[in-house]
Amino acid sequence: MSSAKLLVIDDDRDYRTTVRCLLESEGYAVSEAASGDEGLSRLAEERPDAIILDVMMKCCCEGYGVTYAIKFRPEYESFRSVPIIMASSIEQAPDELFAMAGEVGMIQPDYYVTKPLDIARFLGVVKRALGTR
Amino acid sequence: MNDASERERVVVIDDDYAMRLSCRKILEKLGFEVETFDGGAPGLEAVARLNPSLVVVDLKMPGMSGMEVIPRVREINADIVIVVITGYATIDTAVDAMKSGAYDFLPKPFSPEELRLIVNRGLERRRLALRGRQAEMERELLKRRFVSFVSHQLQSPLSAVHQYLSVLQRLEGSADVAAKRREWHERCLRRIEDLQALIRDWLTLAKLEGQCLAQRRVRVDLREAVQAVLAGNAEIAAANQVSLESRLPDGECAVTGDPNCVSVLLDNLITNAIKYNRPGGRVTLAVAPSGDEIEIAVSDTGAGIPEEVRPLLFQEFFRGDPGASGTGLGLAICRKVAAEMGGSIRVESVVGEGSTFRVRLLAWREPAQREP
Repeated sequence: MSSAKLLVIDDDRDYRTTVRCLLESEGYAVSEAASGDEGLSRLAEERPDAIILDVMMKCCCEGYGVTYAIKFRPEYESFRSVPIIMASSIEQAPDELFAMAGEVGMIQPDYYVTKPLDIARFLGVVKRALGTR
Repeated sequence: MNDASERERVVVIDDDYAMRLSCRKILEKLGFEVETFDGGAPGLEAVARLNPSLVVVDLKMPGMSGMEVIPRVREINADIVIVVITGYATIDTAVDAMKSGAYDFLPKPFSPEELRLIVNRGLERRRLALRGRQAEMERELLKRRFVSFVSHQLQSPLSAVHQYLSVLQRLEGSADVAAKRREWHERCLRRIEDLQALIRDWLTLAKLEGQCLAQRRVRVDLREAVQAVLAGNAEIAAANQVSLESRLPDGECAVTGDPNCVSVLLDNLITNAIKYNRPGGRVTLAVAPSGDEIEIAVSDTGAGIPEEVRPLLFQEFFRGDPGASGTGLGLAICRKVAAEMGGSIRVESVVGEGSTFRVRLLAWREPAQREP
């Protein structure tokens, strides 16, 4: 189970470096993407077991778009069940942040953690995400 | 004159058949798509349907008069340019028409040349107005995004550093991390320096808002200032394979201002010109007197700046290349600093060839000479 594959989508290369190192030390295989588009385009080749996804990249809500694409766009149908762990410095998850707007479910990830990561908690979330696959 | 796909549309409303015909002939020759109508009511209906760039309307018509048509066109779309034709061109009617929103008026009879001139001038003004509105909207959007953007800019480096340190702590003792420690320290320092640069720029801006900078108006020798800024940027220019050149006039070359502000200004422009250049490119700093002012032109041989983003260049946090390093405050600071010293800054750019930023500052005059 430790050989599970994780895809880290984040435009901050320092974040990718540390998350990769941390996850590799736990025995996971890690691949990286520096933007939402790159992340989506690598899904087919990487076939990750879970996705760790930043929100504010080049565009300020890129992570929401990626979530929507994976959960609802037909071309990513085969990845629909891949759990998404959203990691952002924004305090609230989309369902809280946009509580007033309808259809928030479309951009709601499976898990939400805030940056900077609480490492023990983050690793717990990763484990849970992979377990519920 | 225009591309067929984006031909501008003109609606002509006049009860006189000959007038409609000649307007159509003249305007079609200019490349416009022309629709003509013989009265106010069908004309207005067409304006609402066709959304033309310009309406030519006769003031005196049976039924609905031109004077009634003008405000209704404005209601449909205030950006439509209205040119009034009048057979009884008195100052009063012209003034009334302009008051209710017409752009200009043409007294009958008029030559094709007169119609051509007035239509082109009106459309040029419309284009400028529309472009200005676009820039205004984008500025507003930037302002609204400001808070979330700033907090993101401030938080990202801090949380990256936090994460380096906490992962180091977590993996303490593992051989893997021992090898990375040095590199990670470097990255932490870099992120902290970026954050410091951001805060420094931000404070500079805040001081400018409070007008605490540029209080001093003293003689600033540009020769010295230019040499200092070129020396200070020599290393980074070499690292980017960009050559630095300067052209200074012979003799006296000084401006009235604050030495620190002049340095900030020159440094920001030179740094940008190096950063947005190409390997093997060139940065030229040319100083030339121009009347009571001195113009400092900083040119690069980079990719150039597309016309549509030029109005946004001097806005806070606007970034030419969001991937490049920098705070997005440099040019906002330049503009404020220049204005504080009674000067100005503008940009010229050719996409694919490069950009030139032109700063004009007041030339230094000995106090005695300033007295009448």
